[in-house]
Amino acid sequence: MKDAREPNTQAAEYVLGLLEGEAKMEAERRLASDASFAREVEQWRARFGEFDDTPQSQPAGEALWNRIEATFADAPPRAAPLSAWSRLWSDISVLRTATIGASLAVLMLAVGLGVAIRQARLQPVMVAVLVDGDRTGAVVHAFADGRVVLLPLTSINVPSGRTLQVWTLPSRERGPVSVGLMDRARTLELELKDLPTPGPNQLFEITLEPAGGSPNGRPTGPILFKGNTAQTL
Amino acid sequence: MRVIYDIEAGRMVGVARRMLRRQDLAEEAVQDTFMRMWRAAGSFDPAKGSARTWLYAILRNCAISILRDESRFESDPEAGEDAAPATESALTRLPETSALRRCLEQLDPQRRSVVVLAYVHGLSHGELAGRLNIPLGTVKSWVRRSLISLQECMG
Repeated sequence: MKDAREPNTQAAEYVLGLLEGEAKMEAERRLASDASFAREVEQWRARFGEFDDTPQSQPAGEALWNRIEATFADAPPRAAPLSAWSRLWSDISVLRTATIGASLAVLMLAVGLGVAIRQARLQPVMVAVLVDGDRTGAVVHAFADGRVVLLPLTSINVPSGRTLQVWTLPSRERGPVSVGLMDRARTLELELKDLPTPGPNQLFEITLEPAGGSPNGRPTGPILFKGNTAQTL
Repeated sequence: MRVIYDIEAGRMVGVARRMLRRQDLAEEAVQDTFMRMWRAAGSFDPAKGSARTWLYAILRNCAISILRDESRFESDPEAGEDAAPATESALTRLPETSALRRCLEQLDPQRRSVVVLAYVHGLSHGELAGRLNIPLGTVKSWVRRSLISLQECMG
């Protein structure tokens, strides 16, 4: 029997996954309709979420991703209710082409996850979105602790014998400086240790160079994606 | 989605595997999670909560659906660790500075177990009763009291 004087633990029990059947459905109804209950649930999820940072990471290879990607093809995202966020998402859905990787909404979700950093409390202080016309290729996050990370948003075709090289332009006088090499589009921590912390409106670009990187220390190949940093809110 | 996959999937499989104990089922839960995210990204509202809690809430729901589907999941009492070591190992993996850890450590060990095993390993009331060898009603009351203490401790 529940004691009427006892604080209600429904939200926390729901988060633990202990509610079943009718009790679970009731909690889900409240979650959708009762803002204060929803806040309570979010608070408990954030509290217990610390446990989600603790397991040993398990291999999640290409095979699993391929299965996941195959399910996307059969199921378009559901029409979204109207909020600024979901309007953006549906605009993006319209723009979405055969490539699933590069959607700005997913990018925002990724940014929201505080990804690329394990200390999820750190937020990027500068972000650059690297584009080619209206194609988004990658995003660069500069963090307060000095780390700068490039996250690709699309696959990039790299012919054999060539490599992708990432550059930044810390100042006009100094000219472009190589900050990373990669054989394919992948998440990459950029080497900016010898450079000043990126400021606003600083250029980052990806060029196609001979394997091993540009022979003369300056970009020689075509620019694939480029963009300037902006301060995050 | 690929970005999220590259960065979170390993951890997601880890979380799911702790609950499901089998790699194939853990991968299935992660796959279901991406499917639901894909279909429901429009209903994610950053004003209501962080993307991270949203993602892991979906993952937990998917893993629990698989766990509770008894026709598919043969519960194997031998495979589970004893309650006390399982609880302690989950707890010591939390950072020293964690408020959750500090508050859980203030609880009586058995009462702490019910909360930790429910969250980390996805045990139901019935499974908790079996694992700890206590009556169902006691489990339910321990869970509630532990949660009230945690609420007070974490503020």
